[in-house]
Amino acid sequence: MYAAQTIDLVKKYGDKTAVDGINFYVEEGELFALLGVNGAGKTTTVRMLCCLSTPTSGDALICGKSAVKEPDAVKALIGISTQDTAVAPNLTVRENLEFTAGIYGFSKEKIKAKTEEMEKAFDLTEVMDKRTKTLSGGWQRKVSIAMALISEPKVLFLDEPTLGLDVLARRELWKVITALKGKITIILTTHYMEEAEALSDRIAVMTGGKIAAMGTLAELEALSGEKGLENAFIKIAEDAKKGVL
Amino acid sequence: MNRSALFASRNAKEILRDPLSYIFCLGFPVIMLVVMSVVNESIPPQAGMVIFRIDNLAPAIAFFGLMFTMLMAALQISKDRGSSFLIRLYASPMKAWDFIGGYFLPMMFIALAQLLVCAVCSAVIASITDVELNIGNLLLSALVMLIPAALMTGFGMLFGSLFSEKAAPGLCSIIISVGSMLGGIFMDVDALGGVILKICKVLPFYYCVTAGRCALSGEFGEMVSPLLVSAGYTIAVTVLAVLAFRRRMKADMN
Repeated sequence: MYAAQTIDLVKKYGDKTAVDGINFYVEEGELFALLGVNGAGKTTTVRMLCCLSTPTSGDALICGKSAVKEPDAVKALIGISTQDTAVAPNLTVRENLEFTAGIYGFSKEKIKAKTEEMEKAFDLTEVMDKRTKTLSGGWQRKVSIAMALISEPKVLFLDEPTLGLDVLARRELWKVITALKGKITIILTTHYMEEAEALSDRIAVMTGGKIAAMGTLAELEALSGEKGLENAFIKIAEDAKKGVL
Repeated sequence: MNRSALFASRNAKEILRDPLSYIFCLGFPVIMLVVMSVVNESIPPQAGMVIFRIDNLAPAIAFFGLMFTMLMAALQISKDRGSSFLIRLYASPMKAWDFIGGYFLPMMFIALAQLLVCAVCSAVIASITDVELNIGNLLLSALVMLIPAALMTGFGMLFGSLFSEKAAPGLCSIIISVGSMLGGIFMDVDALGGVILKICKVLPFYYCVTAGRCALSGEFGEMVSPLLVSAGYTIAVTVLAVLAFRRRMKADMN
């Protein structure tokens, strides 16, 4: 059983096809990146996997559970950190973490223990009692990821986690994500080539709602005949546009 | 604690940590009570104008304050919708009713606190201005005003669900202005009569204020009719707000 899988997944908005029959799987503990330019269908794919959008056809599975037929079961298995920072601005970091743990039905003791665990794992001690709206963008993203992880999800979705962050905050967040590798299944969407290259075990290149190519960096380089992810991505995207792939 | 209560607690903290909540929900009504009482003292008795006398003013200003809970509810919901915070919660085990209860409950607690503060201030002003106020009736009037509190929370949830963070407060300001005039808070609409009174009787505000005034004056028989009309509007607006929120939630998840 895969940690996540899509089966002929399609999403249409009127005449526009945002996601066009994609198939992929993600192994347990793997960091899988959906790479593509804006509008490629990455976020729509993640939304369907997270039960935030109903597929027009096909299915999305998390640990074998259908996002279409068993959304409650799927929601208990996932954590999501969205493109924009999804934190309660007037609550402290501690309150944000405790609130998130609470809505997943944890006991008081477990909420306390999990909050302390996240504080240590994300090095949040200095900001724990500060209101999140007073924190920098980088800190807010860290808190957002900690909130996504506190519910002990099997699969963590990071939708453009470093979008809009400066280079130092981005590198800091990469460290956090790298530390999670292997411990939890991560599905990452990004349009930053260097981010996908630095963090991912496997990469799916999305263009126009379809997966144009999928594999490790070495496999994508071999497929495209280009060196480096950026060159490989451009070649794959151009070939997909011409209908070669 | 269940999810609805947890979300209510989060919303209460969000609202109560915003200084604007205190200014609008507590400061403004208290200031209006004081200012209008001073105005009342300046009106010569020969004018026969008693609308600003504390026994008339207290329920009216209490309702005036409640209209700001509408603004707070609309702001909170529209702000949450504008951020990704609700998206995170949509992907959690929270259900539609957890959200609705979570938004509704804290507003009712804030409204209750607001009504009690207004009642205490009114009692103090009554003792200073030598107007006799029955404390039991004053408290009953505050309790009666919980129905208008639910109405205004319903309006806030409705506008917050339908409109953006920028549009919802503007719309609430219009409702506050209309409610203040046509609810008979700052204008004796019964004395005016005619078309104005007919318009007032189409809208819920007049009934909310009248029910509060009847409770305070001990005219319990007279209170039943406006109270029932207020309750009817409250049920209708709350149902609309719930439908609007659920519809918006469904749309956000498509």
